[in-house]
Amino acid sequence: MATSIHLDTVRKEFRTLGNTHVAVDDLSLDIPEGSFTTFVGPSGCGKTTTLRMLAGLETPTSGTVSFGDEDVTDLPPQERNVSMVFQSIALYPHMSVRENIGYGLKVHGVPKAERDERIDEAAAVLQIEEQLEKMPAELSGGQQQRVALGGAFVQDPDVLLLDEPMSDLDAKLKSDLRVEIQRLHQELDTTVVYVTHDQTEAMTMSDHVVLLRDGELAQVDPPKQLFDYPNSEYVAQFIGMPSTNVVDCAVEAGDGGTALVGPGFELSLPAGIDAPTAGRVRLGIRPQYLDVGSDGACRLSVDVEVVETLGTESVVHGRLEDGTSFDVVSDAVDDAVAGDRLDVSFDLANAFVFGEDGETILFGSERAGERSSPAGAGGVTP
Amino acid sequence: MATSTGRGLVSHDTQKRLQRIAVYLTALLISVFTIVPVYVMVVIAIQSPATTFAGGRVNLLPTEPSLRNFLVLLGSTDTVRYFVNSLVVTLGSTVLSTTIAVAAGYGLTRFDFTGKSLAARAVLFSYMFSPIVLAIPLYVVFSTLGLLNSHFALTLALTAISAPFCIWLMWQYFQTVPIALEESAWVRGASRWRTVRDVVLPVARPGYISAAIFAFAVAWNDFTMARVVMSRDEMYTITVGASLFLDRVNIGWGETMAVSLLISIPPFLIALFLQRYLLQGFSVGGLE
Repeated sequence: MATSIHLDTVRKEFRTLGNTHVAVDDLSLDIPEGSFTTFVGPSGCGKTTTLRMLAGLETPTSGTVSFGDEDVTDLPPQERNVSMVFQSIALYPHMSVRENIGYGLKVHGVPKAERDERIDEAAAVLQIEEQLEKMPAELSGGQQQRVALGGAFVQDPDVLLLDEPMSDLDAKLKSDLRVEIQRLHQELDTTVVYVTHDQTEAMTMSDHVVLLRDGELAQVDPPKQLFDYPNSEYVAQFIGMPSTNVVDCAVEAGDGGTALVGPGFELSLPAGIDAPTAGRVRLGIRPQYLDVGSDGACRLSVDVEVVETLGTESVVHGRLEDGTSFDVVSDAVDDAVAGDRLDVSFDLANAFVFGEDGETILFGSERAGERSSPAGAGGVTP
Repeated sequence: MATSTGRGLVSHDTQKRLQRIAVYLTALLISVFTIVPVYVMVVIAIQSPATTFAGGRVNLLPTEPSLRNFLVLLGSTDTVRYFVNSLVVTLGSTVLSTTIAVAAGYGLTRFDFTGKSLAARAVLFSYMFSPIVLAIPLYVVFSTLGLLNSHFALTLALTAISAPFCIWLMWQYFQTVPIALEESAWVRGASRWRTVRDVVLPVARPGYISAAIFAFAVAWNDFTMARVVMSRDEMYTITVGASLFLDRVNIGWGETMAVSLLISIPPFLIALFLQRYLLQGFSVGGLE
């Protein structure tokens, strides 16, 4: 039975030789039952520690962890109905694939006949029937990962925890397994919590993405929401490939209202929006929302440094006139070479304005009247 | 190597050939020093002294193999008893030392406790003592406890010699066993004991077999401890017993070599069947 997960001001400190390192800093979070939630963030942001606290492998320094209504904060891993797939895969080298998958069932005293039946079922789902009698060392990396997955879900856990399960696989296998894991989630009645540092995995698979920064919550939202309404510069830069361009701008009062003045461009903000009238801000614009040519509302020039061709489109890495690095993704720049100057333009509706503290103070689309409030309808609530 | 590649006087192939010849020569030299004594031992053991020393010189090409020397050993010495004594204390000490090593190695790698690094250093330090340094204090201890001339005391004494290195070996070995394997078993519901039994011990097998082989070698080849702890003839181990043979009038070189051959059999069998594990375990311990 899938269960909801509640974290209430969970804190985890590690002490080594008098130094206290706060890995997770008073994290509060509700994860709905049956959902697929991804913890994402750079290494050292506390995502794996949080997952290990869900598994019972670490005990929080303070705060509580509950599954549904049950407080599991101090329960050892053996007494929680969770399964976990480890980054290192962690197959038992001395057991066959069949024994590996069935080990949890064996521990729980499931009779051999039923065990074999469930193992065969799991193997069929994961397409590793041929490998059942082999030893883990004989399998490829992708097959080993499937076995680890099989061992985790064959037990019918309330919560399935995955700790960067694909970080050692190649790109092709990753995209195959991504689909596999999602299919599995649809078939299983279980709450999935997935940890990754790869924002592509987070965006493609999850119902909700939990973005962490230095042990604190940066933002919790469904992927699309996170992409369109990042609540800080950190979120905007972390989510999306290539990363969001961020340009320093000065805010100046002009004739037609407030204007943002950056390197080589001036952008006037219409009256009636809640923006500072002086000081400095940072303007964020995703590379995908830039058009080559100068017919858009806001124009700037980019000195091309490197062009990566991806087939249907190209990624141009360049710099603005003050040296700020600036990327453009477009299908109309095939002939650009290093040294060219490229005129690009964008629509204010696609831009973000960040205050000096990094918080988003303006979503372009808000100004465009597409949406009234950036915060809102997410299942996961911080 | 460096000079010849620089000047190009010797071709790459020639270099390789020279290298190989050097390796073979060294190996040959070393084998001469190890194999010749063993050969001499075997030849003298399987010939009667009359054949060996016929014609006033030592004959080292066996012409008339005989079991005479072994029959003398069985008939007029306590070889069998010594051999049994050796087996008893060696087995006891091997099991004890390996058990201690597995428990200590697991504890040192899996639990944090105050004084852990001190304990680890103490283990390595105690390994540096020569057995003779421990012998007299142990004699005093066993004498006080009334344990002299017992298999039990010798087993403990031998364990004191082999355990530090075995602990160190297992400590190193357990560091190579990923903790994720155990965590994965815990999450699946296995208790710590069950995890040790189902996962840790099977995975650590090369490690503890190496430790056991080492403990075996220490105990089987021991002379010092047995000499100190055992003072009654019927309690001697085979090494002590055999060393005393030559003092006797009725025992000569032939019988001594025969008993040496007997002493060599158990280590030989172990090397033959378990060398795969030995190398695996020691390479982790950084000894290869």
